[in-house]
Amino acid sequence: MTRNVAFGQYYPTGSVIHRLDPRTKLFAGVVFIVCAFLASSYWAYLICYAFLFSVVLLSKIPPLQVLKTVKAVLAIVVVSVLINLFFYDEGTVLFSWWKIKITDGGLLYAGKMVLRIMFLVLSTSMITLTSTPTELTDGLEKIMTPLKYLRFPVHDVAIIMSIALRFIPTLMEETDKIIMAQKARGASFDHGGIVARAKAMLPILIPLFVSAFRRADELALALDARCYNATEARTKMKVLRFTWADLTAFLVLTACLTITALIYAGVIPL
Amino acid sequence: MSIVIKNLSCKYGAKTPFEKLALDGIDLTVREGESVGIIGATGSGKSTLLQHINALIKLQSGSVEVCGIDLTERKPDLKRLRKHIGMLFQYPEYQLFAETVREDVMFGPKNFGMKNEEAEDAARTAIGLVGMDWEEVKERSPLELSGGQKRRVAIAGVLAYKPDILVLDEPTAGLDPAGKKEMLDLITSLRQKTVSTVLTVSHNMDEIAAYCDRVVVLADGKKVFDTTPQELFYRDDLENFRLQKPHVVHIVELLAQKGVVLPHVLTEEALEDALLTYLRERRGK
Ligand SMILES: Nc1ncnc2c1ncn2[C@@H]1O[C@H](COP(=O)(O)OP(=O)(O)O)[C@@H](O)[C@H]1O
Ligand SMILES: [Mg+2]
Repeated sequence: MTRNVAFGQYYPTGSVIHRLDPRTKLFAGVVFIVCAFLASSYWAYLICYAFLFSVVLLSKIPPLQVLKTVKAVLAIVVVSVLINLFFYDEGTVLFSWWKIKITDGGLLYAGKMVLRIMFLVLSTSMITLTSTPTELTDGLEKIMTPLKYLRFPVHDVAIIMSIALRFIPTLMEETDKIIMAQKARGASFDHGGIVARAKAMLPILIPLFVSAFRRADELALALDARCYNATEARTKMKVLRFTWADLTAFLVLTACLTITALIYAGVIPL
Repeated sequence: MSIVIKNLSCKYGAKTPFEKLALDGIDLTVREGESVGIIGATGSGKSTLLQHINALIKLQSGSVEVCGIDLTERKPDLKRLRKHIGMLFQYPEYQLFAETVREDVMFGPKNFGMKNEEAEDAARTAIGLVGMDWEEVKERSPLELSGGQKRRVAIAGVLAYKPDILVLDEPTAGLDPAGKKEMLDLITSLRQKTVSTVLTVSHNMDEIAAYCDRVVVLADGKKVFDTTPQELFYRDDLENFRLQKPHVVHIVELLAQKGVVLPHVLTEEALEDALLTYLRERRGK
């Protein structure tokens, strides 16, 4: 069922991590990405992973559930490992056949590659697992607020984003229903060549588009009818608050970033 | 041409925080020629139950057998199964996709292996069954029809492949009173002419009372009643199950409070007859 893989895969547990301000989590996202690229030695990865692991523990999400998110990029991981193994030719040769040489340097490098990609995916998943799409858009809007002075329509962009996010699950549900309805009329989607399969998608795509346009129309009408005006200063039902937990998170994140950077710069010889 | 469901349970989102037991040990048998109504609050699992009949949801536990096809088998013949069942979803007009009514109605027949000419014949007959004029609508785009007409075309698209059992999920939802009446008359006439076995989900107790031989009540995924409309709607404890009484039943009960005792009727026509008989008898005395 598509409803289970709905965008963002929010996994509610009500933990400390879930309650953090979305701005903190967005900052964390940036820190994680920078760390993933700065981490240059296995020691640096150890620190990053230890940090990530404690975040997972704090979030109370079953670690296996977090690990599942890697599935989506498994192919990328495998391919990059193979490429690195076969084409990295510094270090002593461990094994060679035809033009392919596997060196100990290649092995080490491929290992780091795996750690890096996994870290990227796992850490960014931790953000989407612990915050709802709405929270993230709210946070983003707040962060982008200074752009208002450059005449950038911050609020409009935010509202567009949250409407889009809001409708992803709805459209997925709708897709489910349309697929079922056409299957009930004997449609099958896994027969024949590429052309036949693409054609078989039409009975799903056309009603889906029609319904998306219909919904957009209705929503626009509803917004109009209530005199919705995106540009005025609006108040929020859930006001974002920066708490002590957020401050702590900020400090820890900064520490993690600094250590990784220092290792990268060679100041800490690890 | 019957449906036999035994101990059927279904869970959505198993092993996630969103886990939901949508069906819980359902037993249900629908024999050929029966018209069975399914009622229950929103979220009680009615749609989920219907979708199992057509193997649109993977069977998790329990067994389902439809027209002799056993869905517990590893690879049941889904094409054959779905050919037997004419399934109409909620708001079926949203599944129309083709450029013309003709093509849309022919979609089903062609999927089930009819040749072009045969499929067109079937489509023409089906459009006739739903009371539309084939020559007039066949080249029109389904999207430019009115709401009621769209729904008729959608039904025709199901009838065209000549199913043996009709499975309808809230067929009158979103229609105006006249549209509702037409839809129900259509279903009644279909029962006499083409498909005799009908399974209907509805929120409208009046419809269930008037058109079904049997009612099944679901609550939180469990079957709580499986009986005749007469028996069910004349119970005193219906409110406990968040069910309303049909208007006719309500009138009969109000009259009974005033001392006018009538038989337990379910339709407006029957009520009218009962009242007339009552008045005649009183005058006789
Ligand atoms: N695709 C799905 N994924 C997850 N939960 C679902 C899905 N479809 C239905 N449900 C849930 O299962 C329960 C029964 O739903 P449904 O069969 O649609 O009820 P009804 O048709 O009686 O309103 C509801 O709580 C609903 O939220
Ligand atoms: Mg339903």
